[in-house]
Amino acid sequence: MADVRVLIVDDQEPFRLAMATVVEATDGFVVVGLATTGEESLAAAAALNPDLVLMDVNLPGIDGIEATRRLREAADAPVVFLLSTYDEDQFDVEGSGAAAYVAKAAFGPDRLSETWSAAAS
Amino acid sequence: MPVRVVFCDDSFLVREGVAGLLTETDEVDLVATATNPVELHAAVAEHRPAAVLTDIRMPPTFTTEGIDAAKQIRAEFPETGVLVLSQYIEEEYAFELLSEGVEGLGYLLKERVSQVDELVGALQAVARGGSALDPKVVEGLMARKTSQASSPLQALTERELEVLKELAAGRSNAATAAALFMSDRAVEKHISSVFQKLDLTQESDVNRRVMAVLVFLEATGGGGNRPQPGG
Repeated sequence: MADVRVLIVDDQEPFRLAMATVVEATDGFVVVGLATTGEESLAAAAALNPDLVLMDVNLPGIDGIEATRRLREAADAPVVFLLSTYDEDQFDVEGSGAAAYVAKAAFGPDRLSETWSAAAS
Repeated sequence: MPVRVVFCDDSFLVREGVAGLLTETDEVDLVATATNPVELHAAVAEHRPAAVLTDIRMPPTFTTEGIDAAKQIRAEFPETGVLVLSQYIEEEYAFELLSEGVEGLGYLLKERVSQVDELVGALQAVARGGSALDPKVVEGLMARKTSQASSPLQALTERELEVLKELAAGRSNAATAAALFMSDRAVEKHISSVFQKLDLTQESDVNRRVMAVLVFLEATGGGGNRPQPGG
């Protein structure tokens, strides 16, 4: 089976790089792009056609919730997981079209695999 | 001079992300990272940092390891301040952390870590023996206690409560004045009244602000029941 192609969106480089490290350490997943803003994520998704977008909630410009909503409007839209250091109940995750919310503190290879499997089932 | 910091978090993403953010600022010298309380203790013993930044829920039980580590570090290495990080507002943990004294201790929500200025400010505060409480935690503590009829906070006016919230969160008089759109002199007047009503007139000035939160917590029966693990 082909690898799950992942686009990472976070405005802070250390978190972007750490997320990329987690993705690369997870069997069956590969990083295809990194974006730093919500707007950039829309352009990157259109160009790269990822299977999965890991989207930080708090972004400059349009935030991760709005970027997810716009991404999900497209035909053949990627699956989106929202990530944040914030508590989940502060967001309207379902309303955004995101398949899941993952606290950054809980994000690792196991959680990525499990959440992807749950979203795909 | 940068604050020498040891950082402990069992989450790879948080550890790498926050460590990366801290190394970007000149105000912090991150001397070591750790992934569990045992590693943390060893790193503190080796590096004798000015401040420790640590997650609360860590292996093995993922409950209060960070609180326990903070207390142990403060007892064993009094020159090291400790700032604990929490994913959620857990007033009971905050109270437990601060129940034996507030010097050199702080409690910050993880959502603040990406706001580097706030994180650095809190680390600097605990490093110099002060305190740093997350404004949201203070708000949670106060909201709960003000609803109790026996709370000494009942004696405070609404404006005094607002000032107390700012103070307990570690704000300076000037910052409080700016946040509440009042003069420095008005802030001083309210502070004096708050301390008097909470019977804090004899406390040393350094920690009286945060003591204001703790005094009325103690006066109303302390932290109450501790939440269950995972709860």
